[in-house]
Amino acid sequence: MNEQEIVAKEKQPVEGQEKTRAGRFFMPAVDICEYKDSLKLWADVPGVKEREVEITLNGGVLTITATVSTESYEKLSPLYTEYNVGNYFRQFELNEDIDDKRINASISNGVLELTLPKSERAQPRKIEVTAR
Amino acid sequence: MALLRFSRDLGPVSNLLTLQEELERFLRNPAYGLGVSSAGGFPPVNIFDAGDGVAVIAEIPGIDPNSIRVSGQGSTLTIAGERRRETSTEATGYHRRERPFGEFSRSIQLPEQLDLDKAAASYEAGVLTVKVPKAEAAKPRQISVKSA
Repeated sequence: MNEQEIVAKEKQPVEGQEKTRAGRFFMPAVDICEYKDSLKLWADVPGVKEREVEITLNGGVLTITATVSTESYEKLSPLYTEYNVGNYFRQFELNEDIDDKRINASISNGVLELTLPKSERAQPRKIEVTAR
Repeated sequence: MALLRFSRDLGPVSNLLTLQEELERFLRNPAYGLGVSSAGGFPPVNIFDAGDGVAVIAEIPGIDPNSIRVSGQGSTLTIAGERRRETSTEATGYHRRERPFGEFSRSIQLPEQLDLDKAAASYEAGVLTVKVPKAEAAKPRQISVKSA
């Protein structure tokens, strides 16, 4: 193969926190990219549909919770398994000042995409110098 | 292909216990019966018995469904494709880069009594499911008893 080959990563279970709802929770792999006026976050959450995602921003802590329905597995019995199926959970403390009213989230093919616009205050501003 | 992995920072007793656990896991691993190429490769796959055949399920998030190539040859099922990064221009920097990207190809040796010609693949929410039905010859059949 001429291009870079993908290496599979084992799913990381969420540790140190216990949920009231039973079920396994895994940490989704994320990419976070910074732009001049926003932050963008992509999280791999295969098996999650749009209704099953919950995103909150509280006190500068961004929380992503996504549940995976295991209904389709009920009639199947495993022969060989390499990965576990479970819910997703991850939290980030945001250093940047985010305008929480303009956060945009979408999901497509099991990838959650979040746009976190920086608030006006946090954006770099050019100060005009006038001649006197 | 690393089949067994041991952690080195344990005492001799726990080492033995770990060894035992690893051996049990190794012996129970049905990969030897099914013949999956490069275990631990991308995408990770789960194989289930669905009663009327098998279901091969793989998590491949963020890929154009039309770019996934699923093919069968003999009793070998191959899943191949390429996962590309979202184009992100004018970004000033990355805070995290954890998601894997690149080309992939995996082959799975399925039992002989399956009919790969009738396999059907679907992709939903980043999960690929390939259903392979049992071959007609492998299905249970009723044999009528005639009175002589």
